[in-house]
Amino acid sequence: MISSLLRIIAIGRNTFTEAIRSKVLSVLLIFALVLVGCSVLVSQLATPGLDPAGLIDEQIKFVKDFGCGAIGLFGAAIGILATAQLIPQELHNRTIYTILSKPVRRSEFLLGKFFGIVLLLTLCVTLMTLAFAAALYWQEQQGVAYADSIYGQTKNWQADQGLLEHYNHDVAEIHAQVRDPRLVEAILLLFTKLIMTCGIALLISTFASSSIFTIVTTLMIYLIGHMEGTARTFWLSHGAETNLWQSCLVGFISLFIPDLNAFTIVDEILAGNNVPWHHTFDLIGYAVVYLVVLLSVAIVVFDYREI
Amino acid sequence: MDSSASVGSPLAVQTSGLTKRYPLAWKRKVLVALDHLDLEVRPGEVFGLLGPNGSGKSTTLKLLLGLIVPSEGEARVFGLPTDSLEARQRVGFLPENPYFYSFLNGDETLRFYGRLCGVNGSKLEKRIEELIDLVGLQNGRERPLRSYSKGMLQRIGLAQALIHDPDLLFLDEPTAGVDPLGSSQIRDLILRLKKMGKTVIFSSHLLEQVQEVADRVAIFSLGKKVLEGSLDSLLTEDRGTQVHLPAQLSPDLQQRLRQVLAGAGFAERDISFTRPRLSLEQLYLRTVQSQPDLASNDSRSK
Repeated sequence: MISSLLRIIAIGRNTFTEAIRSKVLSVLLIFALVLVGCSVLVSQLATPGLDPAGLIDEQIKFVKDFGCGAIGLFGAAIGILATAQLIPQELHNRTIYTILSKPVRRSEFLLGKFFGIVLLLTLCVTLMTLAFAAALYWQEQQGVAYADSIYGQTKNWQADQGLLEHYNHDVAEIHAQVRDPRLVEAILLLFTKLIMTCGIALLISTFASSSIFTIVTTLMIYLIGHMEGTARTFWLSHGAETNLWQSCLVGFISLFIPDLNAFTIVDEILAGNNVPWHHTFDLIGYAVVYLVVLLSVAIVVFDYREI
Repeated sequence: MDSSASVGSPLAVQTSGLTKRYPLAWKRKVLVALDHLDLEVRPGEVFGLLGPNGSGKSTTLKLLLGLIVPSEGEARVFGLPTDSLEARQRVGFLPENPYFYSFLNGDETLRFYGRLCGVNGSKLEKRIEELIDLVGLQNGRERPLRSYSKGMLQRIGLAQALIHDPDLLFLDEPTAGVDPLGSSQIRDLILRLKKMGKTVIFSSHLLEQVQEVADRVAIFSLGKKVLEGSLDSLLTEDRGTQVHLPAQLSPDLQQRLRQVLAGAGFAERDISFTRPRLSLEQLYLRTVQSQPDLASNDSRSK
């Protein structure tokens, strides 16, 4: 058991090293970091003319939307690209022969590869989150400075109890928006969704003949996954009214495609709505179960694959 | 693993009726890549697999490594099923034209493969030192594999195959694409492994090299083993005798010998005196190896 775990870790570390030494993925990551960092510049385009607190609200919300959007988008791009290359590259370079001729099970090879992708995504999401936090911090400082300048236009405003309370309220509002612990919830959900997407890509790559096929199919499933909720509702409520083909298609989507739309509660969090932690844990639990099924099927398929 | 462990143990390799078929769905046909192979290789032997491209050599090696599943028949390595972890612990493999992970350097490569085989810590580091010495890659330890020459890649390939000190080595075209010098170094390495008591099964197109290292060979054609035996028995001609002398014979001495042989009943046209010739490979190696700076690709510092 321990030796099996050590082999999985060895393969995972190698996959991770390969990914971080890959120029394409490094460039993508740098681009993502720059983009997240630049969100503070783009946020300055928020509609002027609003009241001070409103303008700052808009800018902070923009940085949050932009940052989380970039983490989701670039995380998916890096994850899918890296996962899609895992097996075809091993087969093309024949390195898979050197690994599987050692005392390594195919399941260990596959789990090791997936572990490497999880490590890669952990690093990427951590770095992007740090850039996101830096952007938010900068925006917070800008917001406080802006409030200072607005209130400073009134002479001796600090002596005015009403204005001072207003100021303290505005600054507290800025701090509350930036240091919102629910952002951790949002990042965690984004990360879970990325891992799930990579699990899908890994399953496809076990029978795919090329990386392109894996990338295109994963993207299709990713898109359909966002409509799964609608399909399931339709199937459950109108299943009897549709013809056989429609029913089969919608039923297939409902049963086998993951419900990625459920992760749009990240938007709710970013909009400032309260999403209870148990809801987040439910979603993570759903993702874990789905991943276990995905990886189990991937192992069975890969076991039968001729290499 | 101690090489002496193989003494008295079961056959290194044993196959019976080993067959691999690939269905060609679009042609509605079946390609028989290997057809009912019966093979026995004893521990400590160097065994050569010969045959043209597509004759079944690589398929045989993949089946013996448990990389592909036979359509029929059975294969065992040291009496163990080929796809068992126990069997793989006793086997090393160098694939044909290996690329390995080009982003790793020599040491990292061996460390990675060592960990896969359960070799860790100081034992692994010691083993890496030994293997780097064995394959002569001291100058390639810190260089990424993408900068390796073909010969260096083959040598690091051999080192990774040996990292867990296996009893049996499978080498698929170990000298393919390697220059004659690198090729002769690999041949020497095979001979050293034989002396260490390892069993080596290799495929090659370079017949002269096979002749120099193999104890026995099998020749494949169209997925079938068509000939098998020891090189001595297969290559020795019963119809003739060669006499080697360490000096040239004078014309007078040649004439006297002809008379003696004619007196013994041999026809004049059947008797010939020739001077020994070097093969082109021997000439090349002798020339190149006499140049100290060219003796190894590794000796150039970049």
